[in-house]
Amino acid sequence: MAKIDLDKMLEKVKNTQWALSDIDWDAPGADLITEEQWPKLKEFMADLMWIEHVGARAFAAMANKAPTDTLRQLYSYFHAEEQRHANAEMALMKRWGMLDGDELPEPNINLRLVIEWLDRYSDEMPVYVLGTVVPMLEIALDGALCKFLLDTVEDPVCHAAFEKINDDESRHLGVGFTVMEMQGHGATYIKMVQMAARLMDPRLILGIASYFPLLNKMRDNVVAMGLSEEKLYECMRKFEKIGGRTEDGRRNPWFQIIKLHSRWVVDRDNRLYHKPVDAIVKATSYIPRKALPAVPSWVKELTYKPTA
Amino acid sequence: MTNATTNRNSGKRANGAKAKSLAAPKRSRPSTVLIVGAGFAGLGAAIRLQQAGIKDIVMLERASEVGGTWRDNTYPGAACDIPSNLYSYSFDPNPDWSRSFSGSAEILDYIKAMVERFDLGNYIRFNQNVTDLAYDDDQGLWHATTEAGEVFSARAAVMAQGPLSNASFPAITGIDEFQGHKIHSAAWDHDYDFRGKKVGVIGTGASAIQIIPELVRDADKLTVFQRTPAWVMPRPDFQTPNWQKTLFRKLPASQSALRKGLYLAHESMALAVIWNSPMTAIAERLGRWHLKRQVKDKWLRRQLTPNYRIGCKRILVSNDYYPALQQPNCKLITWPIARLSENGIRTVEGIEHQFDCIVFATGFEVSHSGTPFPVRGSGGRLLAEDWQRGAQAYKSINVAGYPNLFLTFGPNSGPGHNSALVYMESQIDYIVKGVRTILDKNLKALAVRDRAQQVYNADIQRRLAKTNWNSGCKSWYLTEDGFNATMFPGFATQYASQMEELDLKDYALITA
Repeated sequence: MAKIDLDKMLEKVKNTQWALSDIDWDAPGADLITEEQWPKLKEFMADLMWIEHVGARAFAAMANKAPTDTLRQLYSYFHAEEQRHANAEMALMKRWGMLDGDELPEPNINLRLVIEWLDRYSDEMPVYVLGTVVPMLEIALDGALCKFLLDTVEDPVCHAAFEKINDDESRHLGVGFTVMEMQGHGATYIKMVQMAARLMDPRLILGIASYFPLLNKMRDNVVAMGLSEEKLYECMRKFEKIGGRTEDGRRNPWFQIIKLHSRWVVDRDNRLYHKPVDAIVKATSYIPRKALPAVPSWVKELTYKPTA
Repeated sequence: MTNATTNRNSGKRANGAKAKSLAAPKRSRPSTVLIVGAGFAGLGAAIRLQQAGIKDIVMLERASEVGGTWRDNTYPGAACDIPSNLYSYSFDPNPDWSRSFSGSAEILDYIKAMVERFDLGNYIRFNQNVTDLAYDDDQGLWHATTEAGEVFSARAAVMAQGPLSNASFPAITGIDEFQGHKIHSAAWDHDYDFRGKKVGVIGTGASAIQIIPELVRDADKLTVFQRTPAWVMPRPDFQTPNWQKTLFRKLPASQSALRKGLYLAHESMALAVIWNSPMTAIAERLGRWHLKRQVKDKWLRRQLTPNYRIGCKRILVSNDYYPALQQPNCKLITWPIARLSENGIRTVEGIEHQFDCIVFATGFEVSHSGTPFPVRGSGGRLLAEDWQRGAQAYKSINVAGYPNLFLTFGPNSGPGHNSALVYMESQIDYIVKGVRTILDKNLKALAVRDRAQQVYNADIQRRLAKTNWNSGCKSWYLTEDGFNATMFPGFATQYASQMEELDLKDYALITA
């Protein structure tokens, strides 16, 4: 993947917009979801939808910090596009009878913690932290989960929707990796020092504390659906491969950190990592919902309705 | 739209050389001064010329009424965002302003009353839309051709057609597909009943933030589409107490004193608005305080928080905009607009927002390089061509190669912090000096020297580089390439002082 021209990419993004109303949500095929699939798929879709939404919020934070006007516009579009994906996935849930009236599905507790963190701290995070974490989330969670879904679900409407979603995601990744490479330029040493200082930031530590269990929790959900966790790991390795394809990309210290972390995640024998993180997943499941503050209002922007 | 009319006519003109020779245009005897536009600038110029004893004036107005921008902008809530005592002419004070910030109807009444008070009616030719303005080197005359086929000539010409006079629908994909009602803020449809309707407003600029609090009262559902949030400051608006009106009438010096006070208060704002100074940070804090006080929801506040330095774009004032956005029937959308469709607006989050009516509060076509009609100078040169790489003038008012032509609100004359009329008075008085010089010295041409214009502009651009307008945001002040041909980089007092003297050594004086 060569470095892309961001101005041309912005034009392309503007010219390839689609809307929920471009898809016939009542077309035949909804009955292809088996009874056995349904309950697990419901949980999986809710998580997937929330991950898109979380990605959207991260892009919103990046838009405010973007160093150039083109990137600012691109991130504003990506923010909205991630929301569109969440809306489309909610529309699929509606089609499959997985929504309780107009109610939003509940996010799992680990996502709920990530939402809380994003709402509180994402706007204060430096753009190069988000700029590395977001491609990882997109590839590992979003990309991988979408792939599983298409392998499992035969409903043609689901495939039609994800064809559009995946087209968007490939553009998000193209920009994400280009930006990672841009960040790798220049004084690595200064960046390392800055990064070390950032790592001391308790807000970032909190973010890491919610991100680690989220990955393990998603792995558990994937396995619960009867899918091979190896596929999730394959996607995470893709991050390592694409992100590290150039020297600039490899020089980005955040890439190195995330890469190292993804290696821990995929190595189930790494008990030093998985034991405590799995314990956190278990512990967080005991957090009473009432203990968390009310969800921020951006969470309520989701809708499955193509028109308003 | 006016704009479309102009374009249509220029098209006719382009292939109409033959037509011209067939029907000879009606010509009148040359006047001393020809003024294009009977808005604030044109009428003010006529008044001051008249007071200087120059009464051979002809004013060409494209509409059938005076008032310019205040005749056209009659949308609900239209008002000035500069206090009325400063947004009026010092040579024509009005003791009876009903509010500290008057509405458009009252300002229009003030303009109309000016015509009566100064007996300007005889100068104005209504329904004369200028389509061409050309200088004749041999005769030293400007000829204005109008859509009605008449030609008006004069020794000096004043362009007072206004910088914000051509309203335009934005170039959004699918705009022609929308089947509902479309309204532009500068051409309001007063017959449209908003009650019970689903209404979308595109834009959150100066017009939009006045329209939204009004529409939210009537519309069943109001959806506001924002691209960039503006800095919104509190508006100290109040009804004028009767004692004040009486005081101003009995003791006019008290009104002049208030005007002076308001002027100085606005001058001090230049420190916050034009340059990045400690005052800028204070102004931003005030803006954030206003937002925090009026908007409790954290996400909505984030959506409404500007991410550029205050002053870089136009600063807005309103007390009721933020509360209006939080009404149960109102919603702010910050997703980018993907396109318009048959039934509404599709935004990038994939949702089609459907409307009965869309209000375009998207502003005006500000010409940074072109002119509203072809302006031909000495030797037939075209102003639009001379300005291709960005508009330039000498002291904002004269252009080299265009003798005896005076511009109001020409290049780099815009204020960001003070009343436009303060700047306009300086321009008008300069015009009077120029015309007086032409008459007194019996000049065929008073032509600014190219070198003087270059020196002046080099200085202006050097000073602009240090201002907030050139600090990185996108605004109508700048061209696509980021060239600032709009704003004056200094205090109004500095502008007034540069316009104080007509320095004849910067001009070539050509006698008949």
